[in-house]
Amino acid sequence: MRRNFKRAAISLLLLIGMTAIFAPSLAPYDYSRQFREAPNSPAGSQFPMGTDDLGRDRFSRLLYATRVSILLAPAAALVSILIALLVAAAAGRVLSGLTTLCLSLPWIFLFIILRATLPLNTRPIASILITFGLMGVAGWAWPARIFAASIRQMKHSGWLLQARASGIASWRIALIHLWPHLRAIAIAQFRVLIPSYILAEASLGLLGLGVAEPLPSWGNLLAELQHPGRVHDNPWILAPLALLMLVMISLEALQPSREVVA
Amino acid sequence: MHSGFPFANRIASNLITLALVVLAGGFLASALVRYSPGFDSIPEDLNPDISPATLRVLHEQRSRENSLPVFYAHYLARAIRGDFGVSQNLKLPVNELLRERAPVTLRLILWGTGGGWLLGGLLAWMAVWPRRDALEATASSISGLLLAIPPAVLALVFFFYQAPLGLALSLALLPRVFGTMRALLDDCYASPVLLAARARGVRPIVIAARYVLLAAAPQLFALLGVALVLAFGSAIPIEALCDVPGLGALALQAATSRDMPLLCGMSLIITFFVTLVHAAGDLATGLAGERA
Repeated sequence: MRRNFKRAAISLLLLIGMTAIFAPSLAPYDYSRQFREAPNSPAGSQFPMGTDDLGRDRFSRLLYATRVSILLAPAAALVSILIALLVAAAAGRVLSGLTTLCLSLPWIFLFIILRATLPLNTRPIASILITFGLMGVAGWAWPARIFAASIRQMKHSGWLLQARASGIASWRIALIHLWPHLRAIAIAQFRVLIPSYILAEASLGLLGLGVAEPLPSWGNLLAELQHPGRVHDNPWILAPLALLMLVMISLEALQPSREVVA
Repeated sequence: MHSGFPFANRIASNLITLALVVLAGGFLASALVRYSPGFDSIPEDLNPDISPATLRVLHEQRSRENSLPVFYAHYLARAIRGDFGVSQNLKLPVNELLRERAPVTLRLILWGTGGGWLLGGLLAWMAVWPRRDALEATASSISGLLLAIPPAVLALVFFFYQAPLGLALSLALLPRVFGTMRALLDDCYASPVLLAARARGVRPIVIAARYVLLAAAPQLFALLGVALVLAFGSAIPIEALCDVPGLGALALQAATSRDMPLLCGMSLIITFFVTLVHAAGDLATGLAGERA
């Protein structure tokens, strides 16, 4: 049963991933194209999910939004893992203190502080980089703590002492001896971070701090939920939420066991 | 390092961590305020009668007076006295704003954490204790479903149906609490002490109270601390989207208007309390370890 569920989750994620990659070919219209004569039009043959209040095709925007949200969350997770590895490898007392400091602030609050230091009115592409880049930067602390704990454990192992006594260079020890041990933890942390970042982007988009219009993302498409009357008129407004939930449930089904994560 | 007073060492270590984190937080906060846009501007900038050379001298003087170390020392000295400066946007003292808004957020967080903790615990109990596959699957499905919904969307649904927002926060926290509580209960369930108690025929209510709740109390206390922090994080979008005049809404307002004194005052206070909560959890775990 569990195995079937995992298979279904992988298939669904592959399908959604392929749709995201080929969004420009699959979408009937460009995400920013406006049909000024048809704002808020219901679902039909011309617009499979209707149009938004600016007359843009919801289906096309959903395809492009999937592309932004589902492809950039892993990129942000990768940034976090890389920073975490660097910090853990160099883990001195100062860096350890910085990790504690970052863990002392709720993640979204830390993001808000960092976001406030950067310009708010940016071009859409810049807003993507800022949103996902800051997510990556703000989310390094927890994986860093786990990596640092693993490295601390390994530092007392006989094989590492022997390697150091043999005069092997530090970078070589890190790359050839430490990395194979850390790889499993890194992959587990990467898998844990992806759904967190997808969810975080959705929340930030709803708050208006995420990807800037006219570029669509799941977050800014969900902003339409702030007008419940529209949902009643066109239930397709719920499509981004449904897709987000499907992806989250699928990712949840593929999460590693807690022994691997911690 | 060995010592005869491990608990005292733990207290000292937590106090040092608290002091260092607040000092580092204060430094970052003051650096953000010091280098925020517009900080270097002076009223004379708007006076057309002042020559560029005079303006340059005035700017240089301001930079000298406000170099980061000097500014940090002043900022920290004021912060210790409870003065976090004046909000650039709202033109009100930051501590007054915090005093006004904190009770609203605290109420929301306490309701949310309490509810999330109880519901998460109940679901974890369902998943572990009766050893029924159907119950375990139901509990995991409910948790998985709630984990898939952004807290902000949950809040919007509750807001439009005029349901209590504390419950929305509880449901947002539930899956996070469920995961840890389930792992904790799994460990308790497999412990030899509990197996022996069951074999002796000890009543389930006694097992629950003595061998689970009491045994896991330090971890549960630590989890409560983590849940409080998570609750604050989830409260930010909930307050901002549902017009709740709390700290979360204030933080977002400060971010969108780039009100650095307000944002930094908030981060300093939040860092202090979060570190305090973590320290309390750590001490509770340490105390339990010492007793064991």
